Amino acid sequence: MLEIRNLVVRRDHKSPRVLNQISLSVNRGEKIAILGPSGAGKTTLFRTISGFLPILAGSICVDGVEVSGLRGRRLRNLRSQIGMISQRHDLVDRLGVHQNVMAGALGRWTTLHALRFLLRPKAAELEEAKRALSRVALERKLRSRTSDLSGGEHQRVAIARALVQQPLVLLADEPVASLDPILSGQILSLLCSLANENGFTLLCSLHQPDLAYEYFDRVIRIEAGKIASDEPRQAAASPAVEVAVGA
Amino acid sequence: MPGLESALSLLRQFFPPDLSFSYIRAETAPLFETLEIAAGAMFLALIIGLLFSLIIGARLPGSRALYGLLTTFRSIPDLTLAILCVVLVGLGPSAGTLALTLFYSAAMGKIFADLFSSADPGAIEALHATGATRSMIAFYGLLPLRLKDLLTYGGYEFESAIRASVIVGAVGAGGIGTELVGSLNMTDYHRATTLIIMLVALIAAVDFLGFYVRRQPKLLLVLAAFGAAAAWHHWPHLMVVTQALKTFRTMVPPQLPAEAVRELPTLIGQTLLIAIGGTLMAVICALPLGVAAARNISPLFISFPVRRLLEALRAVPEIVWGLILIGIAGLGPKVGILALGLHSAGALGKLYAESLENVAAEPVMAMASTGGSTLSIAGFAVLPLAFAPMTVHTLFRFEWNMRAATIVGMIGAGAIGGALFNAQQLFFYRQMMAYVLITWAMIMITDAANVRLRKYWRVSEEL
Repeated sequence: MLEIRNLVVRRDHKSPRVLNQISLSVNRGEKIAILGPSGAGKTTLFRTISGFLPILAGSICVDGVEVSGLRGRRLRNLRSQIGMISQRHDLVDRLGVHQNVMAGALGRWTTLHALRFLLRPKAAELEEAKRALSRVALERKLRSRTSDLSGGEHQRVAIARALVQQPLVLLADEPVASLDPILSGQILSLLCSLANENGFTLLCSLHQPDLAYEYFDRVIRIEAGKIASDEPRQAAASPAVEVAVGA
Repeated sequence: MPGLESALSLLRQFFPPDLSFSYIRAETAPLFETLEIAAGAMFLALIIGLLFSLIIGARLPGSRALYGLLTTFRSIPDLTLAILCVVLVGLGPSAGTLALTLFYSAAMGKIFADLFSSADPGAIEALHATGATRSMIAFYGLLPLRLKDLLTYGGYEFESAIRASVIVGAVGAGGIGTELVGSLNMTDYHRATTLIIMLVALIAAVDFLGFYVRRQPKLLLVLAAFGAAAAWHHWPHLMVVTQALKTFRTMVPPQLPAEAVRELPTLIGQTLLIAIGGTLMAVICALPLGVAAARNISPLFISFPVRRLLEALRAVPEIVWGLILIGIAGLGPKVGILALGLHSAGALGKLYAESLENVAAEPVMAMASTGGSTLSIAGFAVLPLAFAPMTVHTLFRFEWNMRAATIVGMIGAGAIGGALFNAQQLFFYRQMMAYVLITWAMIMITDAANVRLRKYWRVSEEL
């Protein structure tokens, strides 16, 4: 599903390597947590998989498609297969909740269709938005202003948008960084159960080792742009490793 | 279509421009003088405006009164100030520098104060929590939080000051404005075109410079040094205080004869028609042009020429558009609407494009990650995110056009400006002062209405 080979990435020509010789193989439907301190390269890895940052060396293949060198329509096609949610939620406050949710369909819509939806959404499209919101228990907020949502609701709307996108891979970049422990658990549980139901691959970067071991199949630790450990949950959850990772 | 034929025939008289080396060389000095007036006035206005706005932003004692004073002072159109300054310090660039310093100190002071007042309250509260004084918060919080917007506005106001220095030149305050109005009055249209081209080139150079200053703020030091030298060179060294007081005594108390009172509703209606019509026309033109000029939406082969078109539209001041269009549209409010519409389309188009370029990158990237086309992403993310600053710019432009409606009125578009100019020409200074006060009241009411609209649309906090 996702094959990364000897990946090297820099943010710009002057900066040092943010990712240095990363190699990773991910199977369809796997749920992987990526742990690491701030600046380790987690966000850079996700942005590179989505084709937002150029690859200096190595390769990334998503469902058999090489990311490097893609442009225009082919890049957009790839992006429509990769959902992305982040710690900042990245919703557009000025849009309604239904508009933010249906933005997930932009990759399969024509430009005219997208602009028509902004002005006059069809009943079927609103129904699709409502269905996605009901999966995150927010259908009552369908016609709300996004700026009126709470932090947890923001995150759930971002997940609903990813559901509408129907991605093969969902990249969740510290999705619970600004949430309290109870809400964090609820969001991660929701993400994992949706991944099971829909069959998409989930890569989720986190700061909290306990959450990683509780919810994910596999835990990868990145340090200074390199993979420091890559273990299945059973192994990682052993007390010795837990202490090492938590240190 | 005889109207169209005469319009085309008049337009043809503007071409070809006089591009002889001797003429261009002769006009370089007044062009440089225009730049000096703008730079000198802006240097002083930046210092005064920034100081005032920090006092207001930090809510130091007297800040409310100071804000009221700035609001009042910027409601006097710059051309009116220039006429007063010519009377005070005589003909020449000193009058222009003084008039623009007064006008832009108030204008920038108010805009900067509005920016500071809407700075991130969380960050300001965090600084308060450290026990910092209000002055410390101004320098550690307000300035860094709003630096990017200050630079954007500073650059825009500098451009605006260059056009204003052309306008004040028209009443004898020096620079290329005197030359341009002279050419148009003498129907020497070929040379007028040359001067307009030179002006467009100057505005383009300033726009280019503004782009680099935003990237390399250190360049501001070079500009500041030039501004300081220009201000020193042109600042009036001898104020004719007694002459100024004597003239002022002939202006008070303001008085309107009965006939003028009867005409007043028509004049006010015409002024509003020019300002609203001009702004509407500008918005309709600036929306597609702004999208086309935004570098993050349109490809370079579209954005580059559209940016040059916008520069050309706004490089020509409203008063000059008015003088050019009178031959085509005739006298009356119509010429005012067209003049304001064309100039404001250039100004708003540029501000719309910058608003679109300055939107937060993260939500746009999140939309792009869904695989949507560039235009879909513009519709779903860039435009909604830029809605607040674009609305604020439009409302500020409407405020600006209320002042500009007075200025174009002076050259034949009628309205209050025409009546004011006639009174001044006939030395009816008490009547002139009455019209100045009515103009000021109209602008104050418009400003207050704009504040309410910004709150209603929830855009005041999002510039």
